[in-house]
Amino acid sequence: MTGDADADAGAAGVSDVVPPLRLAEVTKRYEGGGGTVTALSDVDFAVGTGEVVAVVGPSGSGKSTMLNLLGLLDDPTEGRVELHGEPVAGRSERERTDVRRETIGFVFQDFHLIPTLSAVENVRLPTAFLPADATDRAVDLLERVGLGERLEHTPDELSGGQKQRVAIARSLINEPDVLLADEPTGNLDRDTGVSVLEEVRAIAAGGVGVVAVTHDDLVTEYADRTVELVDGVLRDA
Amino acid sequence: MPDWSRLRAWLRGARRRADRGRRGVSDAVAGAVAAAVAAAPSTVVDRTRRTAAALGRRFPAVSLALRNLSRQRLRAGLAALGIVIGVFAVVALGMLGTALQTAATEELGGLGNQVIVSPAAESGRESLNSRDLAAIERAAAGRGTVIPLKSTGATVSGGGGRTVAQVYGTTNPRPLFGDAPGVPDYHRQGALVGADVADALDLRAGSQVTIESNTYRVVAVLPPQSSITPLRADSAVVLPPDEFATEEFSQVVVQADSGSDADAVAREVRERLNARERRVSVFSLTSVLDRITEFFALLNGFLLAVAGVSLVVAGVSIFNVMLMTVSERRGEIGVLRAVGIHRDQVLRTLLVEATLLGVAGGVVGVLLGTAGVVLVALNTELPIDAVLVAANALVALGAFAFGATVALVGGLYPAYRAAWEPPVDSLRG
Repeated sequence: MTGDADADAGAAGVSDVVPPLRLAEVTKRYEGGGGTVTALSDVDFAVGTGEVVAVVGPSGSGKSTMLNLLGLLDDPTEGRVELHGEPVAGRSERERTDVRRETIGFVFQDFHLIPTLSAVENVRLPTAFLPADATDRAVDLLERVGLGERLEHTPDELSGGQKQRVAIARSLINEPDVLLADEPTGNLDRDTGVSVLEEVRAIAAGGVGVVAVTHDDLVTEYADRTVELVDGVLRDA
Repeated sequence: MPDWSRLRAWLRGARRRADRGRRGVSDAVAGAVAAAVAAAPSTVVDRTRRTAAALGRRFPAVSLALRNLSRQRLRAGLAALGIVIGVFAVVALGMLGTALQTAATEELGGLGNQVIVSPAAESGRESLNSRDLAAIERAAAGRGTVIPLKSTGATVSGGGGRTVAQVYGTTNPRPLFGDAPGVPDYHRQGALVGADVADALDLRAGSQVTIESNTYRVVAVLPPQSSITPLRADSAVVLPPDEFATEEFSQVVVQADSGSDADAVAREVRERLNARERRVSVFSLTSVLDRITEFFALLNGFLLAVAGVSLVVAGVSIFNVMLMTVSERRGEIGVLRAVGIHRDQVLRTLLVEATLLGVAGGVVGVLLGTAGVVLVALNTELPIDAVLVAANALVALGAFAFGATVALVGGLYPAYRAAWEPPVDSLRG
């Protein structure tokens, strides 16, 4: 099992022993009104510790599906999703939710901050129902993404770039192993995009694997590796 | 450029600190709040904010729900207004119903507990003898007070006027004619005069009154009768029974301890005295009172049902508002689920949101309803005492609970639908 993982990970260009997150021979089909649609076809993919991978491809090529599978938000029709070498299939919804909170950080294209919460409250949102208070950690994370002066601001008082930084700080509140970013620069101008991507690189330098789904060539410049999805088939770009 | 390797190290430390913290969270929170409050010479506003933040961390579902409600104040206000109106209707109609019933019961007084035994017309007798009285006393033993009465019509004069009055003879006037200053426990001399007689002849305690050529001193004026009773006390004069020539009684009144005792006494008197021939007629209004009480229960039930319908409509409006809210917030709810908030935690937050609407609406509704009924009582003949009874506290509590429950139930399906939707679908929405 571990041997297979090594071999597949190697094939995907990752030198890590056991990648934190991996798709093994994954196929995803949707039943729709017009028949069966294959969104992903026999995809092997792994992200290593500290690695930034950009996933590019035209609209409808299966990028979002891939990100949902990596984020344990969806199940493959065939194949396995492995977390640190362990298959995820068969885990209860409750366990998956816990795993998501503990190991995966999400950054969304349109930030998805809660409008009634301040920056600090948005950052500590994933821990809202946990007994320990994560306010200090949230403050520290916001200071490190340069928003130390904006702690009590609500999202409508922040610029796009600032919102995305809050979203990044939120994704790091539970010290994830992997960061999944859906079009992280999609709603940002080029300069803001650059500063956000520099932060993403710095996060990876701290040992977090990053998978960024994007249309933006800028993201690929900051990636260690770029893979391309075309009609659900993954290949090195 | 931030130093991320240092951040990672710090995060690891923070996680260890948090793990330690989980062991004594409440102590830590209390300590942190106390320390924060003590550290700064803070204003009341600061302290309030800090307490609110600490409470928010302690009850995240309530804190999030309150924030969500503040987002669409008008909509939340209108949804709560539905509950206000519903609870107001239930409280107002329920309390009025109870007050009417209480007032009517007071008005009818002890009538339901009275059993009046008099000679049966067909027996040819006009009075009850001491054997009859003994039998009635045995039947009523332990169930109430037996008051033998002699009575006759007579012309009463005094203070320069004259009037026709019903003259009763009894040693025990209080249970039947009411208490007033001067009304004796054991009536052995003088006359007690009813309120109307006293008015007509301008009598007061100490006056002289002449009945059938005998003159008596008025020892007390009886209180006006507020309740309905077959004894016409207001136009009565009560004398000691020895003043009557006869040794026999025209009727015997049993003042029973309760309606059911009155029933039992009436039954037993019939069994004891009318077994062979119909010697006495037994009059009891218990069954009539039962019918009146039943009618009021039916009326109350009907009024409450009408009011309840308006609360159910309010519940539907909460349902609608919550459906709109969760459909607008689909994406947010998807994010909550994606970042590790459990389904039941999302459900709880949304249910708290719906229930808060019910609780707020319920409190306002109860206050308005109570104020309305009190206003009605103050401006009509409905006595305020009939409003301020324990049963009405139950009405208020019940209406509040019903309002909150209706809101909770109204929020149930929308909350369930939102919390159980796969996050991948909600994020798309």
